[in-house]
Amino acid sequence: MNSPFSLYVARESGLHHLHPLTKLTLTFGLLIAALALPWIWATYILTALVIVPLSVWGHIARPLLRAIWTTVMPFAISVFLIQGLLWGSGTELFRLGPVSLKQEGFVFATASTGRILMIFGAFLLFAMATRPDTLMIALKQIGFPGGLAYIIVTTIQIVPRFQAKANTILDAQRSRGLETEGNILVRARALLPLVMPLVLGSLVDVEERAIAVEARAFNSKRRETSLVEITDSQTQQIARWLMMGLTVGILIARVIWR
Amino acid sequence: MNNIINSIKKEFTTTTLVLIPVAIAINIAIGELVVRLNLPVYLDSIGTILVGVLAGPWAGLVTGALANIIWGLIRPSSAPFFYVAAVIGLMAGLAGRWGAFNRESPRWLSVLIGAVFFFSLAMFILAFINLQVVDGFPVFPSMAGLLRQYALVFIAALIIGGAIGYFLLQNGAYAGSAGLITGVVAAIISAPTVAIVFGGVTGSGTDLLVAAFRASGANILASALAQGAVSDPFDKMLSFMVVWIILRSLPARFKAR
Repeated sequence: MNSPFSLYVARESGLHHLHPLTKLTLTFGLLIAALALPWIWATYILTALVIVPLSVWGHIARPLLRAIWTTVMPFAISVFLIQGLLWGSGTELFRLGPVSLKQEGFVFATASTGRILMIFGAFLLFAMATRPDTLMIALKQIGFPGGLAYIIVTTIQIVPRFQAKANTILDAQRSRGLETEGNILVRARALLPLVMPLVLGSLVDVEERAIAVEARAFNSKRRETSLVEITDSQTQQIARWLMMGLTVGILIARVIWR
Repeated sequence: MNNIINSIKKEFTTTTLVLIPVAIAINIAIGELVVRLNLPVYLDSIGTILVGVLAGPWAGLVTGALANIIWGLIRPSSAPFFYVAAVIGLMAGLAGRWGAFNRESPRWLSVLIGAVFFFSLAMFILAFINLQVVDGFPVFPSMAGLLRQYALVFIAALIIGGAIGYFLLQNGAYAGSAGLITGVVAAIISAPTVAIVFGGVTGSGTDLLVAAFRASGANILASALAQGAVSDPFDKMLSFMVVWIILRSLPARFKAR
């Protein structure tokens, strides 16, 4: 069985049982805060005081921290090497041969890494604690177009099958003698024999699929019922409004003090 | 106004809605194949371009945006660029309406486009590398000076570009040049996000280019732009070419839907 295309980690926790929109509002607020707060340590502190405790509550601290580590590290290394060492002019902190660490570059790299850390952290927390299908149901309930919800849920379901199909095609073409290793020209030449079967095969399926969904009342204007129940509470509704207010507040403050 | 809304609605038939998830899956599957083949390109918008051409610019726009947001579920770094992917889908759709994907171009045009593109790319990179900062303001070297100083580089660029045009673009110069233009636009509009959200780096191999541009004194936004301008147009040109080849092998009945 293919692994599903999502980072969702199934756990029984308060965080997982929150209404998807509550988590979505929180994530959105954190993203705005990461981009709008001017103080460079704010992103680190918010990550440590909001994202990490929430992940502990959701029993996903370990996978979350691992995912943050692997996604943030490449950026952090690049940004410190490039912006820290190659900053045009500024106060020199220390010098090592031809390169020197500049204070301005170091501050910039620290701020950028914090921003990336908090954005990825918020996003990963949301993705790990929210089932995509419940999110879509919740969005549909507040008037999100059904067609978009269909696209997103279907994509998440079919991507693993496409990845498997791509692997099958790769193996099949290799067994017919297609060279997929060697110099760049050899590898580039392997591209079309792999891409064509994948794309043509799937496009031909599209027509059949369209007939299939139309036969299952895809275009019906009636209100649909759902298999999955989502629980909401008054506390959460109030919390959502508060978070939205806070987010707007941060944005307004940012516009005024700049 | 109503006309516009109606024309948008007309693009989103059941077939389009079913096609979009398949296209996004194609983006992801091919994007990963390319990584496994260890090729220095992305090719992660082939599905988006296909939808733009087959279903229309608005459908392409939606596909691009959703593709990056959904991909963001497992690779968060792609989500902030959803608007870039949306523009790529939109432009592919416009190019499709204009007929870039069903006209065959003469081969001399392919040679010309390849040569002009490589010439401009060489000019662009050399201008950045020879950039001088005077009193905090960047001063670009004069084109004539560059031409004289690097005459051999430019001649090589013209020859390589012409050869690439002849052998790679072949009869698809219209699709290829639409891809080049799309790539230039993508590079320009993605640079601010790279600079503001990611501190000017991409966390991948093209950061070597960022380093080179930063070392020559270009500022963060300019370096991000230069990095994109080197990698995006070529990548989008290849993607458009692949779609052009795919469309030639599709049965006419499918294209009619």
